[in-house]
Amino acid sequence: MAQTAVAPSEPAAPHAASAHQTNTGVSNNKLAIWVFLASESLFFGAFIATYFLYRGRDAQFLKGPSPSSLLNIPFTSVTSFVLLMSSLTMVLALAAIQRGDHRRFRIWILATALFGMTFIGGQVYEFTEFYREGLHLGTNLFGTTFFVLTGLHGAHVTIGIVWLLSLWGRSMQGNLGPEKHEAVEIAGLYWHFVDVVWIFIFTAVYLIPQH
Amino acid sequence: MSDQGTAPGTAIAVAGDAGGALVVSDGEAVVGEEFHHHPTPRQYVFIAVVLVVVTSIEIATSYLNTGHTNLIIVALFLMAALKFFLVAAWYMHMRTDQAFFRRVFVVGLVGAGVVYGIVMLVFSSTVLKS
Repeated sequence: MAQTAVAPSEPAAPHAASAHQTNTGVSNNKLAIWVFLASESLFFGAFIATYFLYRGRDAQFLKGPSPSSLLNIPFTSVTSFVLLMSSLTMVLALAAIQRGDHRRFRIWILATALFGMTFIGGQVYEFTEFYREGLHLGTNLFGTTFFVLTGLHGAHVTIGIVWLLSLWGRSMQGNLGPEKHEAVEIAGLYWHFVDVVWIFIFTAVYLIPQH
Repeated sequence: MSDQGTAPGTAIAVAGDAGGALVVSDGEAVVGEEFHHHPTPRQYVFIAVVLVVVTSIEIATSYLNTGHTNLIIVALFLMAALKFFLVAAWYMHMRTDQAFFRRVFVVGLVGAGVVYGIVMLVFSSTVLKS
């Protein structure tokens, strides 16, 4: 394996596109999104911890329907699969833009947004059903912690969808060349983070046996 | 579909830790000890299949009625942690990206774990039981 030393100022490759222009040696945009995601870990950690703290605490004087009678695991499992698959289409979109394949990029980024919309549609349906069954934000501790935790996650997914569609729009206008793939990578990091947060919410809220 | 990655012989400029020279070795850009190429689409699909399989096992586990609730909870969280690791390492490229980003994110995760671990210990043993 022949090895060649290359000066840091030569044409850039993935990960390096903007990194070599900073005095820290890393891309400022990517550093910003990683710091943001680290802070988001603390943000969602607060709500997941709160959910666990209050889980089953008011079981003996629970007003309204019980969690076990409301939660529809098969339905939410399907929407969870959809969100997981959106992470796959997101990385395929990134791979496509990095090699300059705009047609495939648009297909994969649109598929990711559609998967996200399907997930949000499922959440809206679920919230509506719970509301009809009598579970509101203030009905009991489960209602409060459930709606706040899953609602905030849903808001993040919605922001992600808008972000993905804006990338699709930029690509359609020809404003997203391979040299700007970092914009897609950053959106992808956000999207994958939203996915991994759901992995834990799904386990905490739906899969762990209810009281 | 082939991964974009880096074509063999392509000149690369990567700023690793301050101003280090970079070495290109048969298409793999190396800064210090780090590799800077993304997985192939085939690898992405393989990870997705693993994620689907683990999720299916998770869902099946949640339906188990063994009486060992704590064991089920531990198993469910281990599987969630495995899925988190797979997505973070492969899809978020934490395996191959610059270590600095990984460290920033891990600081947030560990910080969240410590802070909320303490909160849960304190509140679950005092306030909520009083």
